[in-house]
Amino acid sequence: MSVVLSVRDVVKTFGPVRAVDGISFTVQRGTITGLLGRNGAGKTTTIRMITGVFFPDAGSIEWLGSERDARDRIGYLPEERGLYRQMKVKEHLLFLAEIKGCRGSSVAPSAERWLKRFELWDKRDAKVEELSKGNQQKVQLIGTLLHDPDLIILDEPQSGLDPVNMLLVRDLLRELKEEGRTILLSTHMMAEAERMADDIILIHKGKIVLSGGLDEVRNSFGRNTLQIDYEGDGAFLEQLPQVKRAMIVNNGAELSLVDGADPQQILEATMGRLRIRRFELAAPSLEEIFIEQVGAETMESIR
Amino acid sequence: MSKMLAVIKREYLQAVRKKMFIFMTLFFPVLMAALFIVPSLMVARGLGGKKVAVIDGTGALRDSFAHHIEPAAPDPKKALSGGNRGQLPQSLDVEYADAHGQSDLVKTSKPYLDRLYLDKKSENGLDAVLVIPSNAFEGSDARMIFYSRSSTDLFTQERLASVANRSIQRKRLTGRGIDPNVVDTLTREVPFDSVQLSRSGQQKKGSEANFIIGFIFAALLIIPSFIYGLETMRGIVQEKSERIVEVLISSMSPRQLLTGKILGVAAVGLTQVTVWLSLIAAVGAFGAASALMAGFDISQFLRPIVFVYFALFFILGYLTFVCIYAIAGAACNTDKEAQQLVAPIQMVMMLPWFIMFAIITNPDSPLSVALSLAPVYGPITMFVRTLVSEPPVWHILLSIAVSIATIAVFFYVTAKIFRVGILSYGKRPTIPELWRWTKVA
Repeated sequence: MSVVLSVRDVVKTFGPVRAVDGISFTVQRGTITGLLGRNGAGKTTTIRMITGVFFPDAGSIEWLGSERDARDRIGYLPEERGLYRQMKVKEHLLFLAEIKGCRGSSVAPSAERWLKRFELWDKRDAKVEELSKGNQQKVQLIGTLLHDPDLIILDEPQSGLDPVNMLLVRDLLRELKEEGRTILLSTHMMAEAERMADDIILIHKGKIVLSGGLDEVRNSFGRNTLQIDYEGDGAFLEQLPQVKRAMIVNNGAELSLVDGADPQQILEATMGRLRIRRFELAAPSLEEIFIEQVGAETMESIR
Repeated sequence: MSKMLAVIKREYLQAVRKKMFIFMTLFFPVLMAALFIVPSLMVARGLGGKKVAVIDGTGALRDSFAHHIEPAAPDPKKALSGGNRGQLPQSLDVEYADAHGQSDLVKTSKPYLDRLYLDKKSENGLDAVLVIPSNAFEGSDARMIFYSRSSTDLFTQERLASVANRSIQRKRLTGRGIDPNVVDTLTREVPFDSVQLSRSGQQKKGSEANFIIGFIFAALLIIPSFIYGLETMRGIVQEKSERIVEVLISSMSPRQLLTGKILGVAAVGLTQVTVWLSLIAAVGAFGAASALMAGFDISQFLRPIVFVYFALFFILGYLTFVCIYAIAGAACNTDKEAQQLVAPIQMVMMLPWFIMFAIITNPDSPLSVALSLAPVYGPITMFVRTLVSEPPVWHILLSIAVSIATIAVFFYVTAKIFRVGILSYGKRPTIPELWRWTKVA
């Protein structure tokens, strides 16, 4: 594996706010890297520095392994829709490729292929504003890929998509990865990152609080998380002395245990109160880790 | 370079396809011409059928207020210059009342004056009443009185007074035994033409027409700059508010983007001028012929070089304005904010338009010369000067140089502000903040 992008000690301040405060990481070729964090953590600012929209106040961003102009190597899907409402779909796609230095005529066939794949071919001459939000998002996504980028940067790509389209995007990302492309995926949907990412970078208040391979990170938190599926009212689980924190959903719970707790005691406590279907000791989910790392204090302050 | 071309192409195609462009290109010149010519014709001719009562205390002027038949198709050239002053225009419907021997003219006119208050549409309604005193011929203190509801109906007032006075003078003279034909000969007014001599020895006639043409061309020159400037500003604000700019700036430098945008808009302007000039050329023969029929020879006022100047100063003025609007667009986040920012600037930019009258009537005055050599004001003022006068060549060249320098400076500043402002989503910057922006990045 080789490094495509190296970000070193970058800082960006807006007035008194240090939006990004000394972040460093590398992105490996052919991987999906999840950039995680709460809203306002500094994800988008970091991405904007990588895409050249902002200059970092300090630090460096280095591109490796290609002579191609860095700007042209990136396919960037901004967080919010970034399309001209008045332009026609196909025309717009060609424009997006042209500003990356491609000839419109040379990408036209692949634009057609993509539009057909995303079921937008019959809307190719419609104006962007006539499309639904999900379809606009798909157009934007095609625009991100049309110029054959090495590094695809997606800021919340699934926003506005229905489950079918989300699946479509998920398959697409896997496919792009198999083609050897590198993907930087910014999201606050932990489940999504967990499904997709090879590596994660967790940013909080402008700083990296956690990074590394997904499995590595999860395992480093130890197998102290209980995942239980059951029938009945599990609200009492939260009150058990062995439980540090509980996420209780319908007919299921993820319990993070206090150090040294014996899961067996919990199983005993459930006897007669819940009908257990699954009882598993596992590494914590990304969501659990996320809350542990950045959310706990906030959750406390809300309570 | 190819990226910039993509931006130029996009800006151009999007603008040219808009209905606004088609309207501006095809109908705007016609609209402008109509806007300036029709009112002059209307002032001259169309009083829109006014009804007037004349209470004649002398009882001797009935003939003068009976209708003189004007030519069926009035000469527009005369119409523009005000027509024949001595004659009663056909559009005035005069109701003559002989009040000779009435001791109290005020009492006699009372019922007529009451009719001024009637609904305009009613048959008995009147727009004005003229009372001529019985001692009009000999009394040294005799005064006519004109009553109307609108004090501003100067035209009717002036016409009626003029007709009454002429016929009173006529009566006085014929009363002294002078032959009416001799009176006509003696009192005939001599009409005059105004002729403007140019350096090349050509003569131009008809300064009124020149005046109108000056206004039409000034409007053609300046109004599109404002409209496309605003469009450019809105486009930039939209790119910011919809975050398109992020995609653009992650693909090219802000300077490339700005250059592309401005060149694209410039291409739109050039297309517009080209279409206008071709239209003029295409309908030239027809237009000139019909204008000739209508009384004036257009080629007298419009030297061919004027069209070259028009294209040149149009582009210069246009680019200056577009740069100013681009700054406002880059600095603001909403159309409303941007409008507020440009509104005062716009007033300043409009200055030559507000004093267009003075520039056209005095194209070589120190004020006109100064404005024509000034930044921002130069293109329109200089063009109007070349249209109505023949300024020295060095004035023209200097004005062009000043304009090009202005555009270069504006472009430089715009690019700086663009770099900082286009990605600042905060509140609208103040002018001092804008100034600081030009120094960073």
